[in-house]
Order: sequence, then structure tokens, then C-alpha cells
Amino acid sequence: MHISEGVLSAPVLVTGVVLAAAGVSVGLRKMDYEKIPQVAVLSSAFFVASFIHVPIGPANAHLILNGISGILLGWLCFPSILVALALQAILFQFGGITVLGINTVNMALPGVTCYYLFSRLVKRERGLLSSAAAFTCGFLAVFLSGILVALCLLFTEESFMSVAKLILLAHLPVMIIEGIITLFCVAFLARVKPELLGGIYGKGS
Amino acid sequence: MEKGHSIQISLVILLLASILVISSNLPALAHKVIIFAWVEGDTVFTESKFAGGKRAVGAKVQVFDKEGKQLLEGKTDNRGEFSFKIPKLTDLRIVLTAGMGHKGEWAIPESEILEARGVSEQKRSGEHSQPTPAGLSKEEIKDLIEDSLDRKLRPIVRMLTESQSKGPSVNEIVGGIGYIFGLMGVALYFKNRGKKRHRDNYND
Repeated sequence: MHISEGVLSAPVLVTGVVLAAAGVSVGLRKMDYEKIPQVAVLSSAFFVASFIHVPIGPANAHLILNGISGILLGWLCFPSILVALALQAILFQFGGITVLGINTVNMALPGVTCYYLFSRLVKRERGLLSSAAAFTCGFLAVFLSGILVALCLLFTEESFMSVAKLILLAHLPVMIIEGIITLFCVAFLARVKPELLGGIYGKGS
Repeated sequence: MEKGHSIQISLVILLLASILVISSNLPALAHKVIIFAWVEGDTVFTESKFAGGKRAVGAKVQVFDKEGKQLLEGKTDNRGEFSFKIPKLTDLRIVLTAGMGHKGEWAIPESEILEARGVSEQKRSGEHSQPTPAGLSKEEIKDLIEDSLDRKLRPIVRMLTESQSKGPSVNEIVGGIGYIFGLMGVALYFKNRGKKRHRDNYND
């Protein structure tokens, strides 16, 4: 999912930076004192998840965990993912500094989308519906990231459909695994600390 | 107290993830792709790998000259290798596109090509030169040394490629997590300061 340096054209990069800056500023405005440690922990989880390689399927694909980040952090997953990506770019040259903006958007935006789509469903009393929502949340976040990456590459590689198909196919195992991870995380949190799933703005509301 | 609970849970998740990473011995990664190229005679050999050592199979390789004009294009074979005859004497820029936004680059300066070509040309002309009464001419000795050096150095060149394509070590990953928690500390410090100032103003 990390797009390398020098692949994208300048307009795409600039759009990425602008969108990422907007997302991060919204996130920072919503970040209160109690939320900071949680953002840091999920940032580290994202940082580490990129090293967990899923050995199934045609290509090298790794976990992203943007679904669970999104559902737990909402807009705060923008700063969280930005920090992790910046460190990956500096320490390991994954992605890169110029593509930091667009990579952040590609991974954080699906998280925020899933937050709006599923947080209401996920926080309902435990049952089939909330479990299904949690699974779909993890699954869809990776799916949407794949679509966004394909969109970015639209301007550089041949056709959208072939790139999208390639990326989505490669990440299908990741989507399923992330769905399951999100499902278990949500089930666990619902049992131990249900307020956490109520979103970050009003506890349990 | 409840807050501490959620952080504990997150930490457990993080710990499990770390254990998974460390125990799986850092498998191949999809973040970075590396192309490595060297000149032998009039041919350029390239090797392409993903960080972590998995070979980039069937990836597009393009060769550009100094002005950025494309000279030739090809695909890596199933060992991630691709070789081509040098089309023109210039600085070469070899670009690998492995799909899904992965890209790597390697540059070969003109001097390196000249050097390699010089050796092979000398070799060719050396074939016609007569041996001096002393046995071997200076050029022939030089050729022999160059030849055996080439042979002896090949594994070292290969080793360098391997070490370049190694994934990050556990230390680096743990260090990265450390950075994140350091940043958390900074963020908490500034938030706390703002809060304190607010409180002070309120008390005034």
C-alpha cells in the first residue's frame, strides 16, 4: 500500500498533502488529553502491522489495521497514521517523504469513512449485526485503501481497472484477516471496555 | 482507571503483534523495491528485489540516458534478473517499476561503462599482441588480474546486493515504537502545559 517516491505526478502529490493536512488538522483539533496515549498506541500498532506480511496470494501484502484505527479513533487516525508513516519513511525508506501526504490519505481516509459507516452499528449490543459490522469495517477499510491507491496510480499506469484488480486481488487475504482481527478486537473491547467503542466525542452516546 | 484499562488492552494487542513479527523472522515486505546493476564488458546486469529478499519477477525495467530519453525497456525474468547490451555511451539511469506503486532506481555513470569497456577492448587487442620474450606482456598480466578480480569479486557484489535488500531489523522496529511513545510524551507535555495555563488564568 505504500506508494514509492517518484511514481506519482506533482498534482496528485499536492492534492495528497492538502487532504492529509486537512485531515490531520481536524484530527488534532479533536484530540484531547486523554486521547493522546490511545493515538500513540494505535500509531505503534500500525507501525508494527506493516511488518506482518501475509504470505497468501500473488503479491507481497501486509496488514494495515486502518479499520480498527478508524473505528477507535475517528478523525484522530489521521495524525496517528501520519506519525507511523513518517517514521517508516525516515527509518526504512518505505514510501517516502514526498508521498507522505498521499499515503496518509490513502490509509487514513478509509478509516474515517468506516468510522462514520460502522461506529453506530458496532457499538450496538453484541450480536450478529455488530459482529458483521466489525468484520465489514476491517474488510472495507483495506478495500477502500486499495481503490484509493489504484486511483492515484490512474495517472501513471495503464488502466484503472487492471491496477485496481491487481491490488484488490493481492490484498484479498489481508482484507479477510483484517476483518477477523477487527471482529475480535471489537468483541473484546465490547466486553471489557464498551465506552471505547462509543466513539471519541461523547462517551456511550 | 478505566482509561488505564483501555491502554492496557491496546498494549497487549501491540505486544502480541510485536511477538508475531519477531517470531515470523521478518518476512518479505512490500514497501520497497531495489534494483541493483553492474557492468561487465559491454553488458549491464541487473537484479531486482523487494526489501526482505523476495525477487521482483516480471517487473518492467526501463533504461534512460543522461537527457532522460528512454533507450530500451524489458522485463525481469523469474529470478528477478535482466541484462542488456549497452546501447550508447552515456550515463545510464535504470528504473524498475514493480507495479502497485513500487519503484526503484540505479544509476551507472559513464566512467564505469568506459572502464569496463576499456578492459574488454584491451582483452580483444591483447589476443593479437605477441608475447614478449619475458613471457607475458604487461597488458596480458593486467588482463589476467582484471579477469580473476572480476571472478573473485562477483560473490562480494552479490553479497552487497543481498545486504542492501535486507528488511529492517528488530532493533529498528522497536526503536520506531520508541519514537512514537516519545512523541506521545511531547504531545502530553504541551497539552498539559496548555491546560495548566488555562487553569492558572482561571484561578487568577
